[in-house]
Parts: sequence; structure tokens; C-alpha cells
Amino acid sequence: MLVFLLQRLWQALIVVLAMSALVFCGVYAVGNPIDVLISPDATQDIRAAVIAKYGLDLPLWQQYLVFLRRLIGGDFGQSFVYNMPVSQLILSRLPATLELTLAAVLFASLVGIPIGVYAGYRPNSIVSRAIMAVSILGFSVPTFWFGLMLIMVFAVQCGCMPAGGRGSTVSLFGVEFSFLTLDGLQHMLLPALNLALFKFSLMIRLARAGTRELMLSDTVKFARAAGLSEFTVLSRHVLRLISIPLVTVFGLELGSTLAFAVVTETIFSWPGLGKLIIDSITSLDRPVMVAYLMLVALLFIVINLVVDLTYAVLDPRLRKGRG
Amino acid sequence: MTAPLLDVTDLKTWFATSRGELKAVDGVSFSLAQGEVLGLVGESGSGKSITGFSIIGLIDEPGRIVSGSVQLEGRELVGLPAHELRAIRGKTISMVFQDPMMTLNPVLTIGTQIRLALEAHEKVSVEEARKRAIDALAQVRITEPDKKVDYYPHQFSGGMRQRVAIAIALLHRPKLIICDEPTTALDVSVQAEILAEMKELVARLGTALIWISHDLATVASLADRVAVMRRGEIVEMGSALDVLTRPQHEYTKALLDALPSRAKPGQLLLRGSGVTDASPPGRRQSTASLPPLGAPYLVIEGVSKHYQKSHGLIESLAIKAGWAEQEPVVRAVDGISLTLRRGEVLGVVGESGSGKSTLGRMAAGIFPPTSGTVRLNGKPVMSEGPRPSKITTSVQTIFQDPFASLNGRMRIGDIIAEGPIAHGLVSRAEAGDYVAQWLSAVGLDPGFARRFPHQFSGGQRQRIAIARALAMQPDVVVCDEPVASLDVSIQAQIINLLIRLRRELDLSLLFISHDLSVVRHLCDRVVIMYRGKIVEEGEAAEIYANPQHDYTKRLLAAVPVLPQAAE
Repeated sequence: MLVFLLQRLWQALIVVLAMSALVFCGVYAVGNPIDVLISPDATQDIRAAVIAKYGLDLPLWQQYLVFLRRLIGGDFGQSFVYNMPVSQLILSRLPATLELTLAAVLFASLVGIPIGVYAGYRPNSIVSRAIMAVSILGFSVPTFWFGLMLIMVFAVQCGCMPAGGRGSTVSLFGVEFSFLTLDGLQHMLLPALNLALFKFSLMIRLARAGTRELMLSDTVKFARAAGLSEFTVLSRHVLRLISIPLVTVFGLELGSTLAFAVVTETIFSWPGLGKLIIDSITSLDRPVMVAYLMLVALLFIVINLVVDLTYAVLDPRLRKGRG
Repeated sequence: MTAPLLDVTDLKTWFATSRGELKAVDGVSFSLAQGEVLGLVGESGSGKSITGFSIIGLIDEPGRIVSGSVQLEGRELVGLPAHELRAIRGKTISMVFQDPMMTLNPVLTIGTQIRLALEAHEKVSVEEARKRAIDALAQVRITEPDKKVDYYPHQFSGGMRQRVAIAIALLHRPKLIICDEPTTALDVSVQAEILAEMKELVARLGTALIWISHDLATVASLADRVAVMRRGEIVEMGSALDVLTRPQHEYTKALLDALPSRAKPGQLLLRGSGVTDASPPGRRQSTASLPPLGAPYLVIEGVSKHYQKSHGLIESLAIKAGWAEQEPVVRAVDGISLTLRRGEVLGVVGESGSGKSTLGRMAAGIFPPTSGTVRLNGKPVMSEGPRPSKITTSVQTIFQDPFASLNGRMRIGDIIAEGPIAHGLVSRAEAGDYVAQWLSAVGLDPGFARRFPHQFSGGQRQRIAIARALAMQPDVVVCDEPVASLDVSIQAQIINLLIRLRRELDLSLLFISHDLSVVRHLCDRVVIMYRGKIVEEGEAAEIYANPQHDYTKRLLAAVPVLPQAAE
């Protein structure tokens, strides 16, 4: 176990390092932030002073080394635009994205998996066919369109839901969260639903396929032959056995949603990371871009590690050192 | 006379398919007294398993019981609502399945699975369930049951898993247990143990048993009565001794005649013959350069195959620092030397995990040995260097599973012609005729060349696999359990085909099998493998009559024997 963790840590370090180099070079290849930062009519002296201040006069490799040295101290640099530490900026935006994403992914899993299991258990019933039709729709409808429709119907036509923003927030451990107030929850409902749609369909299809296959297996037949009720067969045997692919996809989806909830956040003007990254790309705010992309890499590494550890919990055959 | 425990009358279970009704079970009637053991014998597709599932009410869509009745102690089971059937399943009638690898849930502990089965019919506390589970395991002779109850299925061997399945089936003291080929997936020695235990348990608990099997000999050792099924019907039923020694029905006779254990070694099996097949096409290369028949031909010297996990940087460091342990080397094959003489059939016998298939693959040049040499007629079978490849076409392999070994997306004509064309044995233009000749040589219609593998039965596919191997015009054929997955009558045909082709082509065969009677029938010499090593080697007749090594003795003693008729 210790060796496994060490190995993963080692791999994570290499990935983060490679990622930082790639991102750093990539980001520094596009545009010149100075043109965006200072007005065109500034004097040459001011220009030179700003360039020197941000260290932009150094060759790329030296800039990278400076960046790395700061990174070891936990300093991602200053945002060009907001003129505050990048880490602080990202941390202030993270909770909004985190709660929105978690709400979406949890909804997709907790509702999608049972529905999928049912659809796999009774593949020929009318309800199951309806479920599958909905899931195909969920796959094929573009997120932005669905989001716009949600706003049209619930915010504009009915007026029963807010069209955007986070609503009132409550501070918990010094961080602002929306999900603790009714108003916040109302604001969260539509974007979360929009974000969940694709994942919801994915979970349904995965759970259904796994269940259909397992229902024909000897394990299920043997459990039935021992007189177990259908509910026990589904909840104790089938659900446990289909959980591995589900956890895999759950992890991947959680990661990609956290990182790329951009579209939904933009449509519902949700002040999360997605909006931050779009803003910083348009304003060529390099430190924010670099820090954000590295955070994404780190997120995926952590999520994958958690997923791998979950495998071992779920399937005893994957545990090391068989007893 | 008391009322029978189970009374099945005119049971019909049909499956609706796109090509009409498939009558899997078509008018089966029998009855079973308390504590009686009935053997239900038949080949695949005879409806024996479906009969079992019909009784317990577990027929999957699109199957259904069309008519007939199943009465358990006078109570009609057909048409019973689902929850009432469920109350009977596991409680009064329980079932054990063929493959213990598949039946137990791999992600739940044995104890949990037993608890679920207990909770299905009674209210038990967690502690009590655990105690009952331990008792149940002890009953099926699992050592240290109080520890093993927390094990997961993968920590058990196949035989132990099947014992666990039997323990679950016995939990509620059922009046009837249906066993569907429960020992088919197990090694002979394990099968012998399970058979003996089952016999004792059934006698002690007074449980009636329906033992479904394709193997007449195992049924003979257990059953009071035997019913022989074919195409959904019972063709013959009577006391076990009567049916097996004085069969009345043609089909029963055919089944018995197809068994190699009842024929003289080396001769064609009675029922397998009949079809006169065409001769195989002549050899393209002269055989003049080959050594005479009986001379050493394929020489395997000091061959080993070891498997070891490779380590990454961190892992190696951790092992050096003593934080982690080096994983032990698996010695699949450990220093084996043997010689296949030209024209002989050498049997390699062993149970699962003995390394016999690994040996066969090294002999055939499929993968290189860790150490040692494999030489055919003095020349190595595989090239030297870090990435050895096979450099001869003279050794070919026939694999066990004809469903997995043929590419399902290729026409069988292409499957057979692929190798010969690639190696220039035939030109593309000649290939059609060449394939047709081989198809008729293995007893198939030459017109089949345009078809795909899924259109054939298991026996036909194995014929295709044989044609594919022989079309490469090998001198040595490694047969890795070629008849293990086939029904007895098909098995007899394939054995006969091998006997005939070997004579006509002067082939040398390395015949790998776990089935002692097939090996006895086909092989001139036999080596017995155990844990990667050869424990005994000699003439087939000698070894079977007079085994020297303890393991060989145990193996031979474990083979179930048919009762012989007094003639």
C-alpha cells in the first residue's frame, strides 16, 4: 500500500512537472500581455518598467525557472488583471464551481444509476424504453441550447426560477457557499440540472448495460436459486458488481466538469472557475491561466488516485497482498 | 407406497426464437422419492439443464413453461406466483451450478453471501448468521471455517468454491438439490473428493438429488436411477446399473460406445466412425530429409518457463529498502526434458496449473522458454535474440476452445488458407481447391468455405481448427486439450479423425489433456506433469497398468469408472 502510494506520488510529480513546462511554454507563445495591460499611449519608460516588473524581459527558460522557484514556495505569482495573488483569486472562485459540479455529478449518479439499473432489469418494459429515449436525448442535445431553454422556460416564461448568479451565500469555514440558503439553492438548480444532463444520460446507459449483462450471469442465477428477493439481488449483488465502471466514469466526469464547466457557468453567469479562465484568456492574464491549468492537472491526478483506491475497496481481487 | 417428493409430468419448456419455437424440453416426465438420487444425462442441447431450471422456476425470457406440471409434495409449482416460488427456492429446492468461478459473487465475502442466503428465508442476527455460516462451511469440510468465512471467493480454489456453493445450497436443509454439472469444471482428483462428500451428505441428510451431467461415469458413481435425455425428451430411464450396462435405447448405446474408456486403445471408436472422409491433399515438400519413423524428432531439453512481475523504479527501491517484498517467481514449467519420436503420439497429462499448456506452447514456438532449448530435427523452433520468433512451419497447434481460436469475422476458407498462402505453400489461385480438399479430409462439406465460424457447432469448428493446423503441412502437431469442450459423441469423431489423419500423414502428436481415458486411447507414450515437473514417463499401457509415482496413482484412482456388464 505504502509502495503504491509512493509510486503514485512519484508519477504525479512527473506529470505536474511536465504539465507546468508545457503550459508555461504554450501560454507564453500566445500574444503579448503588455499590449493588453497598459494603454498604448504610455511612454517607453513605463513600458520597460512594467516589462521588467513582471520579468517579461528575461529569456523563456529563465522565466520558467523563476516561476518554478516561486512555485516551490507555493506562490503562483500575481494576476496581471486583478493585481492580487493568483492562488487567492482561484481559491475565491473554487467553492462556487465545486458546489455546482458536485451537485450536478451527485444528482446524475444518485438518480441516474437507479434508473439505469431498472432499465437494465426490465429492458423490454415501456418505462425502460422511455428512459432510454430520454437518455439519447440527453446525449445529443447541446449543453448551451438546453441551458438557454431552461432559462427561457423557467426564468423568462414562468418566472419561478432566477436566470443567473449565485444568490445569497452563507459563509462556512470562511468560504462562501450557496447551497445553505434557499435562495442559493434556487439559483443552483437550473445550472446544476444543465450540467448534469449529459452525465445523467451516461450513468443511465452504463448502469443499464452492466445490469443487463449481469442479469444473465450465473452469479445472479445462483442468488435467485438460493431464494434471494429481486431487490436483494439488485441492491447487494448487481449494484456492487457494476460499480467499478461507474466509479471510473464518475471520477472522469467529476474531473472534467470541475475543469470545464465553462459553458454552463457562462450561460448562467455563475461566478466560478470557468468564467475566471475565460476572462483571463481574453485578457491574456498568463499567471492565472498557468495556475488554473496546473490545478486542473492536479485535480485529475487526485481524482484518479481516489478512483484507484476506490477500486481496491470495491473489488477485493484488486487488493495487494492477497490474504 | 408414500407419495413421491417430486412429480414431473409432461413438462414442456419452449423458447420463442425468430425461427419459431425451440422445444428445449418437450414432454419430460419423471418422479423422485425422498432421498433418491436421479442422474440426468445428455449431451449439450438435450434440455437437461433447462429441465432443472424449469423445476426451480428460473426460466429466463424468451423461454416459458408451455404445459405440464411439476408437483413438489403434491403442490403444483407451475404457474405459482413469483413470491411463492421464491419462498420455495433455496428453502425446499436448491441448486448448485456448473462453474464455481461464476456463481459466487467475487466482491462479497463468503460470510456475507451465506448471510444473504439465510436472510432470504429467515430472520437472523449478524452474529448468528456468522455462526451458521461457519457451521455450514465446516459441514462441507472446509478447514478453519471461522477464518475462511471472511475470505473472498478468489481466495479459494475451484473445488473449495464449489464446496461453498454446496454449503449455501444446504443451508435451509432442502428436500431436493438440483446439481447442474457441478464437477465438470473441476480437476479429476477434486471431482472425486466432491463426489464422495456429496454422496455422504445426501445419505446423511436424506436429501433427494437431481444430478445433471454429460458424464456417464460420474453419474454412475452417484445415482440410484439414471434418465438419458436427447432433444428435450427422456429416451431411457431406469436403475443406474441397468441403463449403463444393459442399455435398451439406441442413443444410450451410442453414448456408451463413444467413450474411449470402453474401446481398445488406438482403434477407431465405434460411433465416431461411419463417415468416410476424403484423403488429405498430398505433401508439397518431400519427406526425404526427415528422420525415419521412431527416431527422436522434437527434442525438448531442460525447458523452463518462469513468470515474474517486473518492477518500476520506486518498487525496486522499496524492495531494496525492505519495505516491500519481492513477489515470488511462478515456475509454470520447471526444467522439463522430453523427446517426441517421429510418428508417435505422446500424451502430456496433468491437472489445471500443472504447466502442460505452457509446455505445449513452448514446444509449438508460440512463446520462448526462459531457459532450455526446443529443437525440431536438430534445428531450433524459435529464432535467437531478445525478441525470438517462430521460424518453422513444421509445428502447428490445435487449441482447446474452437469458439475462441477461430476469428469470427473471417470466412473459414480464408482462415484455412491464410497460413499456407503466407508461407508460399500454395498460391492464391490454388488456395480454393486446397481448402476444399482439406475440408473434405476433415469430414466437412467443401462448400462450407464461404461460411463464417458462428454458423458451425463446436465439433465442426474443431474440425476446421484441425484443417487449419494441418493445411500448414506440419510434421508435429501440438494438440492442447482438443476434445475437452466437446460432447462425447463429437469427441469420439474428433478422436477418430486424429487417429486417421495421423496414420495417413505420419504425424507426430504432442497430445495435452487432463482426460486420462482419452490419453490412454490415443497415445503411445505418456508423461505425467505435476506443478511444472514431469513425475512419471513411460509407455501408455505400462503407466496405466502399473503406475509408480504416488501422484499418478492418485490421479488414476480418482477417475470415475463405469460399471461393466457381466458378459
